[in-house]
Amino acid sequence: MCLSGAALAQDGAVYGTFGDRRIINTQSIETLPARKLDFRIAHRFGDLAGDAGGWPTFYGLENAADVLIGFEYGVTDNLTIGLGRTKGAGPLKQLINIFVKQKVLAQGYNNMPVSLAVVGMTSASTMQKSETEGVLHFFDSPLHRWNYHLGVHAARKFGERYSAQVSTTWTYRNIVPANDENTIISLGLAGRAQLTKAIGIILDTSYPMSSLRTRDNGFYPVLGLGVEFTTGGGHSFQMNFTNVEGLSETDYIPYSQSNIGEGEFRLGFTISRLFSL
Amino acid sequence: MSRISLIITCIVALIVGLSFDVEQVYDDNGDMRLYKALATIGYRSVDHLPDLSIDGVSAIVGEDIVKYGVSKREGEQNSKRQSKHFVCTSCHNLEREDPDLSVSDPEARLAFTLEKGIPLLPATTLYGAVNRTSFYNGDYEKKYGDLVKPARDDIREAIQLCAVECAQGRKLHDWEVESVLAYLWTIDLKLNDLILTDSEKRTVSTAVSGKGMEIDAIQILESKYLKYSPAHFVEPMSRGLNKFNILGDAENGRKVYETSCFHCHYRNQYSYFNLDNSKLTFSFLERKADKYSRYSIYEVIRNGTFSKHGKASYMPRFPKEKMSDQQIEDLRAYISLMSE
Repeated sequence: MCLSGAALAQDGAVYGTFGDRRIINTQSIETLPARKLDFRIAHRFGDLAGDAGGWPTFYGLENAADVLIGFEYGVTDNLTIGLGRTKGAGPLKQLINIFVKQKVLAQGYNNMPVSLAVVGMTSASTMQKSETEGVLHFFDSPLHRWNYHLGVHAARKFGERYSAQVSTTWTYRNIVPANDENTIISLGLAGRAQLTKAIGIILDTSYPMSSLRTRDNGFYPVLGLGVEFTTGGGHSFQMNFTNVEGLSETDYIPYSQSNIGEGEFRLGFTISRLFSL
Repeated sequence: MSRISLIITCIVALIVGLSFDVEQVYDDNGDMRLYKALATIGYRSVDHLPDLSIDGVSAIVGEDIVKYGVSKREGEQNSKRQSKHFVCTSCHNLEREDPDLSVSDPEARLAFTLEKGIPLLPATTLYGAVNRTSFYNGDYEKKYGDLVKPARDDIREAIQLCAVECAQGRKLHDWEVESVLAYLWTIDLKLNDLILTDSEKRTVSTAVSGKGMEIDAIQILESKYLKYSPAHFVEPMSRGLNKFNILGDAENGRKVYETSCFHCHYRNQYSYFNLDNSKLTFSFLERKADKYSRYSIYEVIRNGTFSKHGKASYMPRFPKEKMSDQQIEDLRAYISLMSE
């Protein structure tokens, strides 16, 4: 069932389940209002501690694990499209990411218990083709540059302070390292506790349902914890700590190989600014 | 339900728009139009009738501009949206909002607008705007400076000033201005809008039927409505006077909050600063109220927020004629109560 923008905007629908279109790493069920342009910059620094962190890198602040510069646009109140460039933290870098997010259900509208959004995204690596056969960016075929992601996110706001989200995602890479799998199904959980009108605590996690992605194989669940600041002027600012390096789903889900227990987590931030078009 | 309402509204608007004629003596309800009553007596109260000879001018187009900020002329593509931030109805009602049109009383207006289910807004209703002879009155000169001068006695200039400065949008084309004017003539004052005693009604009736007493009738009618909209910007109240909230009526404050503040802030309708009925919101407003901050209700209602030409939406300031100090204090009392 896909409801029209006007329908979902009716009174009765719960407003502001999350403060932003992204929680930390995961997309939220929120979409932009129609004709609003969101310009955002997100940054993930280097490891705070561990071998690559500490004083030599000023606790990771002198490194940039990943950087996102992108735009999102509200086609309707329930349909958001986005285009962004990330540096890329996995083996494929210089990623162009395109996504479409459709909100299909709204909590409270027609007594709906949850809000539901579907996100489809694709990313293409624009890095230079390697001459070395056997590396991922040898790009034997142009299709090897492409990765895909589909997420279904269901969220509910509990009272005025608390929100929770459950996600199921499918990520597909056209080319993967040896002994890896192309398809990864993940489950995600996220939440927000609003402390004041302007400040909220957010967290999210994503767990790949794969026998290959185990601690023994050097993979760890995606974890993020952050503080979100919203202002009345269309700004949103978020500071977070997360173990993953990448910013796009096709990057951080397959290559979540940082171990928080060894200090391999990092400071990150996101700045978002809305413009009316 | 809403779609059916929309379709019916469109059909009615189409019929009204197509059949509209500034020379009509009565409106669709059979109420005599004030302008025509005065003209019949021999007094031309205003002379800004729309120029319907310009290609594309119509009341329907004007209504689209006023309500939705869009316009279309036959054979052409849609015009660029007038403003990306506001439409006329962001700040103006389209219905009568005062019980007595001869005074501008925000207390009486709140009760009247509540009864009609329309918001309490910082700008004057467009209903009856064409019956006025002066615009951007009072302290608007302090806000817009010399830009007010050409607009003060010219409704077309006033429309343009509103489009460019108030709505932070583009200048309207001539055919759009005339269309807006044509639409405004569909919501002009009617005799029934005026508070007339039986004796005064008899005098007016006598004059309209050409049996004398014209001067008396003109004087009566002209005294029953304001030909301008007074606007005085005043300083925010001294915090010392209200910090104990002993003056406010919380129930009245709730009405102000829901009919005025919510118009722009509920679900980010026109503002990025969202207001709702959550304790988080009331606590925030209560904490900020006594500070010299744009989030203080005292500051922002009286001073508004800073506008950057064409760049951003802003909050207009409420003149004392649009929101009284008492109403602001009532609002504070409601916020205090709800934040506990």
